[in-house]
Amino acid sequence: MSLSLHAEDGLDRGGAGTPLLEARALTKHFPLGRGAVVRAVDGVDFSVMKGETLGVVGESGCGKSTTARVVMQLIPQDKGEMLFDGEAVGSSALSLKDYRRQAQMVFQDSYASLNPRLTIEDSIAFGPMVHGVPKSGAILRARDLLARVGLDPARFAARYPHELSGGQRQRVNIARALALGPRLVILDEAVSALDKSVEAQVLNLLMDLREEFGLTYIFISHDLNVVRFISDRVMVMYLGEVVEIGPVEELYDDPRHPYTRALLSAMPSMDPDNRTMEAPLAGDPPNPINPPEGCRFHPRCPQAQTVCSKVKPALPPVGGGERLAACHMEIPGSGHSRAPALEDAA
Amino acid sequence: MTTPLVAMENVTVRFKGAQTVHAVNGVSLTLEPGKVLGILGESGSGKSVTLKTLLRLLPERRTEIGGKVMVDGKDVLALGAQELSDYRGAVTSMIFQDPALALDPVYTVGEQIAEAISRHEKISRREAMKRALELLELVRIPSPERRLKAYPHEMSGGMRQRAMIALALAARPKLLLADEPTTALDATVQIQILLLLRQLQRDLGMGVIFVTHDIGVAVEVSDRLAVMYAGQIVETGTVRELISNPRHPYTKGLLAANLHGAKKGERLEAIPGAPPALNEPPSSCSFAPRCRQAEDACRTGLPPAIRLGEGRLVRCTKVETPLAPA
Amino acid sequence: MSAVTSPTTIPAIPQPARSPGYWSGVFRRFRKDKVAVGAGIIVLLIILMAVFADYIAPADPTRSSMLRRLRPIGTPGYPLGADELGRDMLSRLIHGARLSLFMGVVPVFIAFGFGSLIGVAAGFFGGKFNTITMRTVDIFYAFPSVLLAIALSGALGAGIFNSLLSLTIVFIPPIARIAESVTTQVRSMDYVEAARASGAGSGTIIRVHVLGNVLGPIFVYATSLISVSMILASGLSFLGLGTKPPTPEWGLMLNTLRTAIYVQPWVAALPGVAIFITSISFNLLSDGLRSAMDVKG
Repeated sequence: MSLSLHAEDGLDRGGAGTPLLEARALTKHFPLGRGAVVRAVDGVDFSVMKGETLGVVGESGCGKSTTARVVMQLIPQDKGEMLFDGEAVGSSALSLKDYRRQAQMVFQDSYASLNPRLTIEDSIAFGPMVHGVPKSGAILRARDLLARVGLDPARFAARYPHELSGGQRQRVNIARALALGPRLVILDEAVSALDKSVEAQVLNLLMDLREEFGLTYIFISHDLNVVRFISDRVMVMYLGEVVEIGPVEELYDDPRHPYTRALLSAMPSMDPDNRTMEAPLAGDPPNPINPPEGCRFHPRCPQAQTVCSKVKPALPPVGGGERLAACHMEIPGSGHSRAPALEDAA
Repeated sequence: MTTPLVAMENVTVRFKGAQTVHAVNGVSLTLEPGKVLGILGESGSGKSVTLKTLLRLLPERRTEIGGKVMVDGKDVLALGAQELSDYRGAVTSMIFQDPALALDPVYTVGEQIAEAISRHEKISRREAMKRALELLELVRIPSPERRLKAYPHEMSGGMRQRAMIALALAARPKLLLADEPTTALDATVQIQILLLLRQLQRDLGMGVIFVTHDIGVAVEVSDRLAVMYAGQIVETGTVRELISNPRHPYTKGLLAANLHGAKKGERLEAIPGAPPALNEPPSSCSFAPRCRQAEDACRTGLPPAIRLGEGRLVRCTKVETPLAPA
Repeated sequence: MSAVTSPTTIPAIPQPARSPGYWSGVFRRFRKDKVAVGAGIIVLLIILMAVFADYIAPADPTRSSMLRRLRPIGTPGYPLGADELGRDMLSRLIHGARLSLFMGVVPVFIAFGFGSLIGVAAGFFGGKFNTITMRTVDIFYAFPSVLLAIALSGALGAGIFNSLLSLTIVFIPPIARIAESVTTQVRSMDYVEAARASGAGSGTIIRVHVLGNVLGPIFVYATSLISVSMILASGLSFLGLGTKPPTPEWGLMLNTLRTAIYVQPWVAALPGVAIFITSISFNLLSDGLRSAMDVKG
């Protein structure tokens, strides 16, 4: 089947074990007028390996949704570049239209993401038709995908979005995203609006599809439980920047950035005998207009020192392996009293 | 045994219209003074409707309410117009998910709180403003003097939520109803509001009914939990009992769906299907169509409410050996 | 329904049962609305009356009689009386429906076309194009419609074609504004984003995703302008800027009969009643359409 196993259809260039998507210094600012600028995404670097799921967490204003829209190229970045399987997106080797066939997105609002005037099969068939698949073939593929996302095509194909429940609509949106046979699917709060019992069904479906079609996911969510469950690696964002990124269990068990720690300890405990006694942070997350100098988290950070308000921390590897944390306490010789000592220059 | 602060007996709520909706189908619950009851349910489970019944906030002309609702010794469903406005705010008040519903954008926060105070007490405006300031201090809004003169839109989300809580507490209610007050908030703000509510409840000795779809939130604030499904309470008990030993299949499914102890990479024990449309009153177990353990008895008659202990009820045929009545 | 999807091959899929489409749902909801259905029937009757005026009207609407001026309602041979020149009011009202409807409907339809074009383009492409287009539209919109219609008609000169033209110009700005705001809303919907993410170009997106969702609401708004157009056209005729006597047209009839208001007040009021009934019927019809088109039911 042409939908899966890209290794065999010639789409895979770099081979397994290489990044499918690399974002380098992605930046997106929105001018507000009178000189004010929303620094929604500010120099974000990350990569997503083939077949893995990268979870993205952070609170409102951290830039996770803007990052998704830039990665999907719904809005152009101001600076930075993206490499998809080694080719620069938008270059002669990989045009925007070709890229969009290979990267798709599922949005949070299942109702707003379906055209109310189109039947479900027409909505799913739209993408393939844009790419030149004849209507009859596109419709057949749509029905096939409906069956694969657990909706009986005989019952659902000709229905309209408002006749479906939220969970069913989100299955349709997933089918629509898969209609072009993408390799990367960006799930922007895709299960957040669903009831818990329905959310579990859709999570199961996403895991099945990941395996069946060999998909790579970028899974954006504010729900840390869900992200832990579905992701291989997690990226934590704060005010338009990546503060920590690493394998999910390592990051959850031993968060290195104070913001990651705060975010994780703000999770309800689920244990009546061991309730949360103290809020890890005071106040609301600030908005990304005129973010603080130095480390953007320093005004709320319990361990902030002078260096934090002056120098912007880099995103160095910590603790060996693939962990990165942008905190002066992890940077040798940063000037923070808790920073590890500088190793002797070898 | 103290007289309960809230006693709902077999409450039913029906919305009339093009299609009748049986939103609440026989809810009975009690709340002791100074305790916190969490009502857990998904959208359409009737949890918010149950809450609004306690304040008579449902549109009177389209709604049929049956059963009995007693709060602080008052028959809420029988209150006249004047009694009702005395009751609202002073005995029972409510906080919402969206502070925009509770805060008026054209008045300052201080004016609104002062107004709420003087609606129930004869005090001077200056006195009322002083009390408003105390309330803002109570909910720990930073620099309260300045916030007193601020309009709701000038505040951040978490601060608006605090202002709304202050407004709800203006007339020193005995019962606070909370309708998903932290759902729209960021994680680090949510925990602040939950801790604040917990502390206020303890300090002021209020009874609180806290409606949420989030088990984690419910566990964080409640003494007891009631799980609602299709307009009925399917299980009640202390938080500890429900979390460690859920008996109703729906409660179990919800806990699994919350990834409580879920193993990475394994499929979730998802509840199949979707909640029923409530166009008819239930004549059998509403959960049976989605229940893996359902048998014929579940589909033919209403399940009995089985008492497992003091205040521990499960509405399921499959739960065996009820304790002998105490 | 099971959450498990089977990866096995899909058997030949039977043709899915056609679910009742969007428009049949609209029709079903519309049919339940008694007021709107009643208004629709009245509109239909008025249209039929206008089309078959030659067969329905009992007399020649232009034949005057100096002897039978200003007869009251119920005069034998003149069921609705006679006007200031002794012409049969009933026949004149029936024939007058033609021009009145024409002046009500045609400018609105032409304006619907141009206004939608301007508004959808401005709404979809946004940015500077939107600013320039919409501010230009606003300049026209700033004038009260009556004043603008009179000014344009006055400048262009009296006559049916000129009043048609001026009414069309009057209605383009409000329609363009509605079209722009509806399009701006639709453009920001996730399904438009999703279509763009599928690699679709602007033309395809407008054709498939935008027009289908904006033309309905714009059309409903436009139908609500029909009554305004009729009243404005009548007003222009009343001022002598529209139809020329002796052509029957309700506004003009109202004008020429105003001298008779103390002699035969009921007869003099008849054209006004006709205008009132027709315009309110169009309004109720458009209200009904709007609520019937509101999906979410």
